[in-house]
Amino acid sequence: MIDLETFRADAQAWLATMVPEFGRDARRGISDEADLALGRRYMAAKYEAGFGGIHMAEEFGGRGLSGLHKIAFDSEEMELGFPSGYFGISLGMPIPIIMKFCEDKAWVRERVIAALKGEEIWCQLFSEPAGGSDLAGLRMKAEQDGNGWKLNGQKLWTSHAHIADYGIIVARSDPTVPKHKGLTCFWIDMHGEGVTAKPFELLDREVVCNEVFFDDVKLTDGQRIGPVGGGFGVAMATLMIERYVAGDADGFGPTIEFFMDTARDMDLGGRPAIEDGRIRSAIARNFALRNGLKSIRDRAFLMMEAGMEPGPEGSLSKLLSVRSRQKLSELAIDLKGGDGLAYDRDAFSKEDWVASWLSVPTGRIAGGADEMLLNTIAERILGLPQDHRPDKGVPFNQIPA
Amino acid sequence: MTILYDEAQLSIASESRRVLDAQYDLERLLDLVDVTGQYDERIWQTAVEQGWTALSVPEQYGGLGLGLIEMGLIAVSLGAVTAGAPFLTGNDAFVQLLLAGIDEAAREAWLPRIAAGEAIGVAALGEGTSPLPPVPAVTFSNGKLSGAKAAVAGALQADAGIVWASSGGSPVLALVELDDTMRRTVDSFDNARLYAALAFDGAPAKVLLEGDAARAAARHALARMAVVSAHEQTGGAQQAMVIARDYALERKAFGQPIAAFQSIKHRIAEIYGLVELARANCIDAAASEGKADFVLKACAVRLTASEAYDTAARDAVQIHGGIGVTWQLGLHLHMRRARSLSAELGSPLFWEDLLVSELEGVGA
Repeated sequence: MIDLETFRADAQAWLATMVPEFGRDARRGISDEADLALGRRYMAAKYEAGFGGIHMAEEFGGRGLSGLHKIAFDSEEMELGFPSGYFGISLGMPIPIIMKFCEDKAWVRERVIAALKGEEIWCQLFSEPAGGSDLAGLRMKAEQDGNGWKLNGQKLWTSHAHIADYGIIVARSDPTVPKHKGLTCFWIDMHGEGVTAKPFELLDREVVCNEVFFDDVKLTDGQRIGPVGGGFGVAMATLMIERYVAGDADGFGPTIEFFMDTARDMDLGGRPAIEDGRIRSAIARNFALRNGLKSIRDRAFLMMEAGMEPGPEGSLSKLLSVRSRQKLSELAIDLKGGDGLAYDRDAFSKEDWVASWLSVPTGRIAGGADEMLLNTIAERILGLPQDHRPDKGVPFNQIPA
Repeated sequence: MTILYDEAQLSIASESRRVLDAQYDLERLLDLVDVTGQYDERIWQTAVEQGWTALSVPEQYGGLGLGLIEMGLIAVSLGAVTAGAPFLTGNDAFVQLLLAGIDEAAREAWLPRIAAGEAIGVAALGEGTSPLPPVPAVTFSNGKLSGAKAAVAGALQADAGIVWASSGGSPVLALVELDDTMRRTVDSFDNARLYAALAFDGAPAKVLLEGDAARAAARHALARMAVVSAHEQTGGAQQAMVIARDYALERKAFGQPIAAFQSIKHRIAEIYGLVELARANCIDAAASEGKADFVLKACAVRLTASEAYDTAARDAVQIHGGIGVTWQLGLHLHMRRARSLSAELGSPLFWEDLLVSELEGVGA
């Protein structure tokens, strides 16, 4: 296997050649459709260059390298602002799930390669109006229908559903058993009859999320993933696959160096703001926090390289980094005074304080709300008791609404 | 940079903790709070027997020649038990400054005694609110020191100090043998730290370094003390968190353990976050010694470890409710130690400023 440093150097060299065509400057001000098309071209180029399925098995069209190689590539790529966000969920969760669970290997291989090249996009239909943090509380109905199944209900918060070709869905196949036990997982054709994805805007007008409606959607039993009633386990397996992610100590927002540039430029009481003690305190505190997160991440890499399981402290990254980004974004806007009020709709959150501030609340909710993460740390790491759960062990259809 | 501890280092961590836990004596620690000039001699005897005094002394002077990473691991264990012997950090700084200095005779005179636990050294760098004033007010001329240094941990029992002073407009580091006429006892809220301010009135001293070399060595010694102390803070913070967790699991109210209430469990989870940041920064800083960003990393760990310990101690008391504020339970030992360690080497206010100066490339 190619060693990590050589691989990283190769990745850097290749990524650098892609900047003119796919970098932030190339994306500025273009339409959503054009940006998605650019993204598909980028994915195709990435696949051709051998950086597509870095840690996926060769039998499915991947390169068969380690998770560390994948993280190394992602962390280099992340800095450049390429249009790869449309494919992150697709390749991160649904594709590994069909690789793990689906038996028709030839079909899986076709799907994996198409997804790696950006030709096909998969979405993950888990959350619903009545089940987000409480995933197992979902209500989407899956009823036996001849030899197959029939879906009725609604999903919500489904990222990229409106541009997706396929999806992984969890539905309630048996409401008479306790909530975790009555779920079944399927893959679906997003273009199929009865499936309607309606995108809606988030508070920063970004269009990623959808409500997706299911009206007598027919599935064959071959589309089932895992056993009947085993859907919660499949969903959990999906979330565990996310182990290999390149966290970002900056919370996917601007860096401390960027904040320092802002503080150098702005005047506060007749001198550069960076000379003000309050601003220095904010810089120092946030630097120290992010330095700690980087150290945790680097240590996790070292452990993986040594064949060890990384420590549970890796779960702190999103919780702490996104909060840091939120407060620093607020402070930066304050610091800019009247200039802080201006809003550039095309700006990227990594290089603009208002864009960062407007999109950061999503970061504190998506992928586990702060409160859920604190529960997980408390229960899984520190061994503290679960919250009181009145629905525990109660058949789903007898849980008080 | 970060590292994975090797087998030997992991064994230092677990063995030091085992030894200190076996000797833990709450009554003794409570006794030390109220009196000045006393410390836990049994713990210090253990430190000597275990070779902790010899740890960072080079082998040629009778030491073990180990580094900051090992020193930090001992400090974590001492911090966990709020050890009543405040000599590890100061001794180590004294050793580092002797090693940086030009005086081989001084090294031969002091290092073997330090390693053997027969002498205690401190670094007296701070004045007023600054742990390292750019132009120290204490002066050195004609072989003599004059002026006052800020309170130094361990100074009530130390045999010698290395003093940051000015000599004809240029900084020097000068070695002085301490006697009782130079010590000004500080009656503190954490007397086991053995704080004394030092006042010199023509005390004979020897110059170890001067000018830029003295400045560089003093800066390095301060950063190194900050890193050792941050390990001690992290050990204390981790322990306060564990105490709070254990109590929250055991104590019941409204028909369930109080740990089942989110106001309690989230509070403990937040402390966990602070402790892990401090620990990660400890490893990063200790492994960065000798690199260009060592002072920056020392600032970062100093800030996170001070915050972790203060928060863990404060919240551990709060989680305990009424029993937490009693003398007898002794949780206040962590509260006291969190504050004393934070204040004694330059407060976070100083380290915040220094961190930004380092980032700006204009460090002190």
